[in-house]
Amino acid sequence: MDLENVKAQMRKGVLEFCILSVLSKGDRYATDLLNKLKESELIVVEGTIYPLLTRQKNAGLLSYRWEESTQGPPRKYYALTDKGREVLTELQSSWKGLIDSVNSIVNQ
Amino acid sequence: MKKTLTINLGNQVFHIDEDAFNRLREYLDRIEGHFADKNERSDIISDIEMRIAELFGQRINQQKQVIIIQDVEEITRIMGDPVEISGGEQAETSDYAGSSKPKRLYRDPDNRVLGGVCGGIGQYFKIDPLIIRIIFLVIFFGFGIGLLIYIILWIIVPEARTTAQKLEMRGDPVNASNIGNFVKDEFENVKRNFQWKKK
Repeated sequence: MDLENVKAQMRKGVLEFCILSVLSKGDRYATDLLNKLKESELIVVEGTIYPLLTRQKNAGLLSYRWEESTQGPPRKYYALTDKGREVLTELQSSWKGLIDSVNSIVNQ
Repeated sequence: MKKTLTINLGNQVFHIDEDAFNRLREYLDRIEGHFADKNERSDIISDIEMRIAELFGQRINQQKQVIIIQDVEEITRIMGDPVEISGGEQAETSDYAGSSKPKRLYRDPDNRVLGGVCGGIGQYFKIDPLIIRIIFLVIFFGFGIGLLIYIILWIIVPEARTTAQKLEMRGDPVNASNIGNFVKDEFENVKRNFQWKKK
């Protein structure tokens, strides 16, 4: 069994959930979001986040706007839409359920 | 001394060494090859280009004004392998990749004695062209029609001129990463020949 692959799959599953969670606390531009996720060691390489952001945006969970920046060119700020909030609430409850189930099995 | 290029990346201007540019071009092409959906692809690529521009910006100053190949290598490590970025998905079925095309018979200009007919047939059936050539010679001397068949094939079989045609001839899918690999191979070949001639 490829341990790294299993780890990557686990991370990938929760990554979308975490992006929504971070954005629910305020709008962020991609690099902010990246740093936050890197801090908590959820992503290893930066590139993985962009396809997820684009897909969530196309699914109507996120919106974005351009904002001037004091350093460099304008930045793309992502924000959670109403639909994104609904999905996040749903994910939160299923996440709690998942943790309980996993704990009950692992700690048996 | 090195030749540099000026590029617009994420709406910022950068001076970049030629070898660094080639590495970056190849990297971005490979990422593109992994995304099938056109709109999705352009969004993702523009986001990634913006981030790379940001990272480049942190690597230039008054003393160092040019992006060098080490910068590109470092950044591709930060951004990750295209396979990882796409989560292991392949744009095999996309219109862009055009990979659904079956293998085609072409004349092989890189492997020819006369018109490349035997080389092309060899590629098509994945056998050594030498065997095809021997068969042609046998039916030429044995039956006298080998030459006629050869000339007809020379006329009706198109020559594989472009990279896409050469990939089709080999039966490799025509997508960004294959074209990238092929061009790189060709480039390496030319470089090797050149160095060999210099000696």
